[in-house]
Amino acid sequence: MDLGFIAQYLLNGIVLGVIYAMVAVGFTLFFGVLDVIKFSHGDVVMAGAFTALATYAGLELLGLGYPTFAAVFITLAGIAAMALLGALLAKFLILPLRNAPPLNTLLITLMFGLALRESVRLFYPNGSNPKPFPQLLPDLSLSLGNLELRFDSVLLIIVGLGAIIGVHMLIERSRIGLAIRAVAQDPETARLMGINFERVVLATFGLGSALAALAGVTNGLYYSEVNFGMGLLLGVIGFSAAVVGGLGSLYGAIIGGFLFAALQTIGAVWFSVPAYKDVFAFACIIALMAWKPTGLLAAKSAERV
Amino acid sequence: MKRHYVTLITLLFMLGVAGCASDDKETVKVAFIGPLTGGVSANGLGGRNSAELAIRLQNADSSSKYKYELVALDDECKPNIGVQVATKVAADKHIVAGVTHYCSAVAMGTVDVYHKFGLPVVVWGAVLPDITYGNDYAEVHRVNGTMINQNEVAADFMLQQGYKTWAVVHDTTDYGKGHNRYFSKFVIDKGGRIVGTFGVSADQQDFNAELTKVKELDPDVIYFGGLAPTGVRLRSQMEKLGINAVFQGTSGIVSDAFIDGLGPLAEGVLAFREGAPVEKLPGGESFLSQYQQQDFGEPPEAYGAFAFAAANLIIDAIEKVGPDRKLVMQELNATRDHDSVVGPVTFDEHGQNTVALITRYVIQDGKWVVWEESEYASGKRKLPGS
Amino acid sequence: MPITNRSYWPVVASAVFAAVFVLLFLYLEEQWEIAVLAVGLVAALYSAVRFGFLGRIEAAASDHPRTTIVVNFVAALAVIVLLRGEHFALLMLATVFLYVTVCLGLTIQFGYTGIVNFAGIAFFGIGAYTTAVLTAHTGVPHLLVIIIAGLVAGLIGSVLILPLLRTRGHYAALVTIAFGILFRTFLEVSDVLGGPQGLKVPGMQILGWSLNDNISLGPLGSVSFYASYAVVALLLAAGAYILVKRLERSWIGLNLDAIRTDETAAASFGIDVPRWKIFAFTVGNCLAGFAGAVYAMMSGFIAPASFNFGDSLLLVSIVLLGGSGNPLGVLPAALLVVVLPEKLQIIQEYRFLLFAVLVILILRFRPEGLLPRKMREYFAAWSRS
Repeated sequence: MDLGFIAQYLLNGIVLGVIYAMVAVGFTLFFGVLDVIKFSHGDVVMAGAFTALATYAGLELLGLGYPTFAAVFITLAGIAAMALLGALLAKFLILPLRNAPPLNTLLITLMFGLALRESVRLFYPNGSNPKPFPQLLPDLSLSLGNLELRFDSVLLIIVGLGAIIGVHMLIERSRIGLAIRAVAQDPETARLMGINFERVVLATFGLGSALAALAGVTNGLYYSEVNFGMGLLLGVIGFSAAVVGGLGSLYGAIIGGFLFAALQTIGAVWFSVPAYKDVFAFACIIALMAWKPTGLLAAKSAERV
Repeated sequence: MKRHYVTLITLLFMLGVAGCASDDKETVKVAFIGPLTGGVSANGLGGRNSAELAIRLQNADSSSKYKYELVALDDECKPNIGVQVATKVAADKHIVAGVTHYCSAVAMGTVDVYHKFGLPVVVWGAVLPDITYGNDYAEVHRVNGTMINQNEVAADFMLQQGYKTWAVVHDTTDYGKGHNRYFSKFVIDKGGRIVGTFGVSADQQDFNAELTKVKELDPDVIYFGGLAPTGVRLRSQMEKLGINAVFQGTSGIVSDAFIDGLGPLAEGVLAFREGAPVEKLPGGESFLSQYQQQDFGEPPEAYGAFAFAAANLIIDAIEKVGPDRKLVMQELNATRDHDSVVGPVTFDEHGQNTVALITRYVIQDGKWVVWEESEYASGKRKLPGS
Repeated sequence: MPITNRSYWPVVASAVFAAVFVLLFLYLEEQWEIAVLAVGLVAALYSAVRFGFLGRIEAAASDHPRTTIVVNFVAALAVIVLLRGEHFALLMLATVFLYVTVCLGLTIQFGYTGIVNFAGIAFFGIGAYTTAVLTAHTGVPHLLVIIIAGLVAGLIGSVLILPLLRTRGHYAALVTIAFGILFRTFLEVSDVLGGPQGLKVPGMQILGWSLNDNISLGPLGSVSFYASYAVVALLLAAGAYILVKRLERSWIGLNLDAIRTDETAAASFGIDVPRWKIFAFTVGNCLAGFAGAVYAMMSGFIAPASFNFGDSLLLVSIVLLGGSGNPLGVLPAALLVVVLPEKLQIIQEYRFLLFAVLVILILRFRPEGLLPRKMREYFAAWSRS
């Protein structure tokens, strides 16, 4: 195979991996503080993208559709809206269910995701059809033999990884990060130490959802298209990536994201019917779980009796 | 947003009125089944509105013998739900006939139900040949053509244009698989070459891996067998990888949604659909303007006209023989050269509309334009790679 | 001598009430009638909880397990008899019973043992596809086909046993999620199993009697062929219910509960954890397989699109909504999840939005599910022996 094509596969895989990792980090954060799966996460990605799209329509109406400005502005708008949505979700649906069986949280977020998806489909103008996402990044690309190195792919990789590193720094270095880590380790003790438990949970859900919004907007910018169903598989894949990497570990989420992207790309190249790639990827995940039952990077926790 | 509420309220209101109206005309119920939720719901809603339009126009006509009511149901494009709602409709003795199904897999599952209960139906969108040709059920009819004639014309046309190699990307639903089967067969028989075939799942978002493979194979044309949402994703990612091949689609992408989803990237995409273009037919123009007037929330989409025609066929049959399933079925079976917005309809012994006219479309300046009238045919513009 | 001498009349009363409600729910079509019914149900449930009727009914049910089963079975049969000519209502009812069967399987897996199964519909689908293949290519009697279908589902499930035994919690959830998605994608691309176009399945025949024919009662009209399927599905669901109840009351149930509550502690008390996990997982999958087999014959056509990951989530929703671990809660939850979207057809494209909002509201205000599981009543049980 030509080197250019190999490089192209590699580049595709990396972009895909960054998107998956951004979604996976959210799952890992929520699991860390509250031990819950938030299944509406994929739909939050979608809602973030649609918020950005609607904001762009607003900007155009105001005559402010300058590409670079708009790209930054709509990204921020999407992030802010989803951070708020994430915090509200935590406050009104997730925290009240703290004492119910943990899976009920899963069900309620699942239904919330369905409601979000259906709302976009029904109430966003002509929302049941795929929407073109504005081309706001410069359409530059470099043809190196058979490799098509696009500016937006490179930017997406940088922004995505930068955001994940930013979240990491926030958790490791800042006060709120310290509080998040404390709650993740032991909520009761953290509370005794005077940490406002509820505020920490809301902040974590806001943070994770903001990252999901960023994933949604970059997704839109990269594929030039968004649709109301885009979060469905993305959510499942993000969850898989987070679990395979080891829940609660940021590095694990990143590794999981890239691993899943790699499996899919290999599957697509390998099989004559590329649709087998998901069969292949998920079969590998099952095998991996049998080999590493707590994920690739999860801390070995002692069994508590 | 506001319009949706209005539609909802009107609908509820109409249902309420229909429930208690003491009109002197007898009320006759006709069913509509299509995907009203989920990925292809745009087509389902367009079809429902078009069938609703046919009913409203008939009810507004004072010479109508009956008062019609449309019972619209959602099959979610899933066979198990389809069988459920089909049973609901077929078991309801007040429903005389049905305008049914956009999704082929659903139609395949439900034809047995219609046969068992003796409910005459007219399929308005599903294109799999087996729906009419796979059985001898007198109840099942179809106004739109099958994918067989569509693909034969497509293969002929593309070879005439001088293209030689194809990469086929199809979704793994029966729609995509069927298109792949017939198109590949015709194109190979006629001397073309398929360099690669890629089955992808319909809800897949990322096609970069498949498309990189396509780029390696360097075909003249990418043939896509699937529906608009997948088509939009494929076409825009093709561009990003710098693939400069012609994009050739099937009837599934002939919709406004495809163009809206792509913007300028849609330029030069080819597709084929059975039936003459709506606006070219007697009554077609009026269908479109009436549709506009009714202020539905959603556009009719590519198959709206077929749903409209199917509903009208049923209404005409009921007007003629009365609201009796058996008589309506016989009347429908005897349909010969019946005028409709999609051209004259003639059902063969399988209930299949035999009018084999296939229209070739190309997207030019954000519109589906009939090939013969396009600037591509006159040589003013050129398709990529030619 | 029983210390508590509670009468079984609350059970009978609740069964009659439930039967009347189900009958109306399936029969009524106008949206205002359904709205009135829904409001009535909420009011009835609220007052049942508020004034302690629910507690009394449950206590009576646990005092008289056999009477409970018989009374409810008779009530369900009565509903089928009363609906005899209504094809659609019977189809929905039969579907509900089949879903109940699958969810009882999930109750053993999740409610008792704590193994989350997000691939319920996959095992249902394995049962359905096994049936399609067996009926098309062999002359195996249909009752045997159903049994084989269940066993095959259990057998294929054993592929997941190794990863499931090694993982816990969310990690175990991922194993079944991956399997559920893999299964559907596999069906779509596999041409041998009909691919996306699916397979046709002949109707069920028992001892030469075809269930696909309507039964004519002469002047009394005719009985829908779905009534036969509804009875078969009811028998299956009742069998599954008895099995689950027996399990719960036996020492096996105690072992399973112990494993769910604390695996490590269970192991240190000498409970063979892997053995009971394998047992619970396999029995649950077999139940799903049986139900899938009957479903395939009833609907006459199966395709991969019917076995989505989303459907597995629906099954889990039924278990959680009913109150995890309480087999009695499965029935109202299944009714809600299977029939309600159908009844909401009237609002067409808005129905899933409303459905999602309703479920969110139920969970928000009754986070333990409709009928949460009660603690084991050791003393009540001992007092009877």
